[in-house]
Amino acid sequence: MKADTNQFPELDKTKFEQRGTEFKLGIPITNAVTVGNSIAVGFGDGTVRIFTSGKSSEPIKAHKGIVLCMSKDGDNILTGGDDGRFLNISLDGKINEIGNFGTRWVDHVTANNGSLVCSSGNIVYLWSPNHKEPKIFEHNSTIGGIAFDAKGRRLAVSRYGGVTLWKKDYSNKWNSSELNWKGSHNKVIFSPDGKYLVTSMQENQLHFWRLKDKIDSAMSGYGAKIKSFAFVDDSKYLATSGAKEAVCWPFDGDGPVGREPICLPYVGNKLVTFVEPFPNENAILTGLSDGSVFLSEIEKASNTIIIRSFTEFEVSAIAVTKDCSHLLIGDMGGNILWTSIWDEEKK
Amino acid sequence: MEETNKQVPVTVLTGFLGAGKTTLLNRILTEQHGKKYAVIVNEFGEQGIDNDLVVDADEEVFEMNNGCICCTVRGDLIRILSGLMKRADKLDAIIVETTGLADPAPVAQTFFVDQDVADRTKLDAIVTVADAVHLSTQLTDHHEAEEQIAFADVVLLNKIDLVDESGLKVVKERIKKINPFAKIINTTKCGVSLNEILNLDAFSLKRVLDVEPDFLTSDHDHEHDDDVTSLSFVSDTPLDMEKFQDWFSKLLQTKGQDILRTKGILDFTGESDRYVFQGVHMLMDASPMGKWPEGKERSSRLVFIGRNLESMNLKEGFENCKSA
Repeated sequence: MKADTNQFPELDKTKFEQRGTEFKLGIPITNAVTVGNSIAVGFGDGTVRIFTSGKSSEPIKAHKGIVLCMSKDGDNILTGGDDGRFLNISLDGKINEIGNFGTRWVDHVTANNGSLVCSSGNIVYLWSPNHKEPKIFEHNSTIGGIAFDAKGRRLAVSRYGGVTLWKKDYSNKWNSSELNWKGSHNKVIFSPDGKYLVTSMQENQLHFWRLKDKIDSAMSGYGAKIKSFAFVDDSKYLATSGAKEAVCWPFDGDGPVGREPICLPYVGNKLVTFVEPFPNENAILTGLSDGSVFLSEIEKASNTIIIRSFTEFEVSAIAVTKDCSHLLIGDMGGNILWTSIWDEEKK
Repeated sequence: MEETNKQVPVTVLTGFLGAGKTTLLNRILTEQHGKKYAVIVNEFGEQGIDNDLVVDADEEVFEMNNGCICCTVRGDLIRILSGLMKRADKLDAIIVETTGLADPAPVAQTFFVDQDVADRTKLDAIVTVADAVHLSTQLTDHHEAEEQIAFADVVLLNKIDLVDESGLKVVKERIKKINPFAKIINTTKCGVSLNEILNLDAFSLKRVLDVEPDFLTSDHDHEHDDDVTSLSFVSDTPLDMEKFQDWFSKLLQTKGQDILRTKGILDFTGESDRYVFQGVHMLMDASPMGKWPEGKERSSRLVFIGRNLESMNLKEGFENCKSA
């Protein structure tokens, strides 16, 4: 791979752009996940690349068309594609096909403690460790998203009309219960403390359930669909895209009901398309529709710094290595910035 | 950069069971057209040749949670179109097959309602394959067949080798009565050049200006109340914008379920531009489209395709919009 030339004059570059490496690959970036101190990136041509400090990253031909989804499985990654394949890929590029669904897309993948899960159409397939045949969980509509809780005992499956919550009992049997809310639900996540479940909807809003008493509520007021959201600083805030500010809802105490979110504004007045928590900090990396990326402290918006200037393509992936030494930014125009975070990292 | 921002045209292929949709799909997939097409199918089970991409889908119609009773969309399409837009290579066109009993409205509405879909793709045309032998019976027996004709920009009247001339005339008149806009192409075994069904840009407001509806004036048979028909109105007197907006928005709000498609070119008092709109049920795309051509009479034209149109006092409502 060649590190390509500068798109903008040196003067306009941030210190991270000057310090890091920019790749202009021209292939839309669909996903990025952190695996230890490496970051795996999925592309719109079916390839995956692994970024590790001090190593070059060669394309791994994983899928025929698009890497639709990606997740971490221990030291490996899981991918799903529009070629109907569900793959486990090691960081050195070894591919192991777990499932193949033909012309049906693999829309979502996740893993917990060796259990591998994907969804295709309205079915969730779960491979327990050392099992060749998957368990099959059928739903009444196509699945919008899947997520394990931290312990791997609960699996949330979002769908049209709400979320199906699968719970493993102590005899390892899975039982389901339904959390219903009208409309179509897409991505779903648990709060890291396991107390809340949050979905984004086809409408420009989010929905959350407090699991202990099933209290639920909508979070609305967005100008666009919310494609990216994540819990920050354990479970203190939920940072969200879909507005011209990064909207951060408080989830400490009794949760967000009746409380105002903190809205972090950015220069340029562009739509926030991606949010990624900065590990172990009450801070987020925010990607905008023009390709620019900022790092902000949620409770101190004045401490915002620019990481990447604009590329004119919406930010579609941000990831930080586990040791917080490097970060990666990708956009829909196929531009990647891979950079060390701290000055002293530059040897 | 411009190339990546271009909207990919989407052709919706409808047609009642047995009309010949699969024959047409096979032609699209096997012809050496040199283009990159994605074909979204329902239980088709075939592989594309010549570079085509076949995607399996289940028709999933869902309601939006926004209170609009007409806002049903195709959830599977939102998912698949959003996915296809992440591809590294750009598609020349996307073709969506619907099942024989499908109502085309949710497919069309998807392109109005979902912002991501609207940003990256555009509804190009609805092409309906009809069986010249059985269409008349199907129209009488099934709402869906009527809707498929009502929404069509192009009707491929297939199997014409199996009907005589008078039979063909009858079935064409039936189509025209439901939908005076649709272009009818006679075929046997769906033998049509792909240029005639793909890349038509039929949903653009510019094209509304070109369409001269082909109305039949002669027949006023007794119709069942729920038959799909069309009504059109012309006025040389300019319209009052406020009165028109008031009448039209109320009409769509209350009768939007029965009004399947509307198109119009409007001449408003005091406005130098032509106003053009086209809509599907309650959803509307409207915009000024430049000055009236020099030396041509200004006039307003308005067409409705739907059910129970007679009960909506459309003529009276339209007359009331004329500037005093």
